[in-house]
Amino acid sequence: MPLRPLLFAAAILAFFAAPQLLPEFYLFQICLIAGTALAVLGLVVVTGLAGQISLAQSAFVALGGYGASILAASWGVPLWAGIPVVAVVVAGLGFLLGQMTLRVAGHYLALATLAVTAIVQLALIHWEALTGGAAGMAVPPFEIMGRALTSGRELYYVIVPVTALFILTAQNLIASRFGRALTAIRQSETAAEAMGLDVLRYKAAAFAASAFLGAVAGGLLAPLSTYLDPAQYGITYAIYFLAIAVVGGMTSPTGAVIGSAVFVLLPNYLQAFQSYLGLVFALLLLGFIVLRPNGLSSLPWLRQAGALLHRTTGPKP
Amino acid sequence: MTEALLRIENVSVRFGGLVALDSVTLEVAPGSIQAVIGPNGAGKSTLLNVITGLYTASGGSILFRGERIDGRTPHAITRRGIARTFQNTELFGEMTALENVMISLDRFYAYGGVTAAWQGRHYRQIETSARDEARELLALVGLAGDENEAAATLPFGKQRRLEIARALATRPGLLLLDEPAAGLRAAEIDALNRILLDLRAQRQISILVIDHVMPLVMAISDRIAVLNFGRKIAEGTPDAVRRSPDVIAAYLGEKAAHAVGS
Repeated sequence: MPLRPLLFAAAILAFFAAPQLLPEFYLFQICLIAGTALAVLGLVVVTGLAGQISLAQSAFVALGGYGASILAASWGVPLWAGIPVVAVVVAGLGFLLGQMTLRVAGHYLALATLAVTAIVQLALIHWEALTGGAAGMAVPPFEIMGRALTSGRELYYVIVPVTALFILTAQNLIASRFGRALTAIRQSETAAEAMGLDVLRYKAAAFAASAFLGAVAGGLLAPLSTYLDPAQYGITYAIYFLAIAVVGGMTSPTGAVIGSAVFVLLPNYLQAFQSYLGLVFALLLLGFIVLRPNGLSSLPWLRQAGALLHRTTGPKP
Repeated sequence: MTEALLRIENVSVRFGGLVALDSVTLEVAPGSIQAVIGPNGAGKSTLLNVITGLYTASGGSILFRGERIDGRTPHAITRRGIARTFQNTELFGEMTALENVMISLDRFYAYGGVTAAWQGRHYRQIETSARDEARELLALVGLAGDENEAAATLPFGKQRRLEIARALATRPGLLLLDEPAAGLRAAEIDALNRILLDLRAQRQISILVIDHVMPLVMAISDRIAVLNFGRKIAEGTPDAVRRSPDVIAAYLGEKAAHAVGS
């Protein structure tokens, strides 16, 4: 297929052209979209594919952001090294949380994961010595090879490739036996178990993956915002991620990017509605659940575009 | 006498005060088709669920190939060689027929996360082999033309056969069938009979079938055990069971009485 390398070349070209052509404001927005999409990608795996509803994504993003920042501020570990280390630790926490799905499912799982978000937020507020408490903490700059990346224009070269790498990897894993197994578990845990799948291990692995992606996202978004405020990492943020996943398409990695773009860019065009933004997002979420439960990525023309990018079989809607 | 493939020994299952299975002993000989029949609520499905690890036995033991399997998780039991179908079909509805079968096969065509992420030639070779075996199994149950249909959109008779293909893909030594003929027409039951007899002949798979549709059970079973209120009340060849006065009273008698009453 000659189209694939062509599209790939176009993407590379666009990637290097954007910083030359766009002002800082838009580059900052692109970084925000990419970082958010990475967190939402975690939900695509655990909730979209494996069918395990999670409101803990806010907690994982917070742990990634705070963890990497604390490592940098207190121990001088640069962010580029701290983020992956913290992400692996948070993934371990996600795996343990996943063990809970042995006993808890559905609405109760939503509540239990919500509790995780609440607990992490409380810990951030009360562990003042480490986190700066309710006042928050400043994020050390992202330094790489002696250069501090401070603007959106600079962080762009880190956040966008990392997100692209994870999106493509996720897409391939979804098309493989791993994606099949998670999809099967979503549709019938009983049957999946009876066909020899270790359902609990898969669900725990899905939680670990969502925690890992959330932590990386949090770690990358932290230097972009330069300041961490514990008030941000609450229940609203957890629902924000879930809403993006629904609007983009619960089972689609590219949907995570599309949904994030909508939720990051829309406020720019709704300046007049600023105080009603929550309402706009709520209506958007409700509208999608009722009218297009498979999200924007299920729009026919977008699916065709997605199929072009895929070698073997695309993920099922 | 050769050692039994599956040996259920004095197995009891209690749900609170209800005794669903009361000290049942049953054997499946290698290469045989064993049936368990009984009226509704006799404990047939409970028996299947306790063998496959969905329920825990409150007493007794279950041995498969001489090894204890009671107390193990369902997936561990499947991996030891016991596959099952479900009474009300438990297919992965949104997935295609082919994918349904591949779920069971993937274990035998394993590759790591890096291989899956890279999707190179090695990956494509393994996936192709898995796909080929899945196609063979679909053809075996007469679903050759339906591989890309979503399981939920298949007609009921085909869903039943897809369940069998999916169970076979776990490469079992023993296949447990939970009322495979329920809701099927006479012609479909005949086709199912042929598939099951072929399986035993060609793949050396033993079968334990529970059902209350007599034509299937009578036509293919080597031995039939009869359950009533959680107890085994009779066992023997189809002819012997058909003539047993206990069975007529408990099973056929009750059914006849029910027919008169309604």
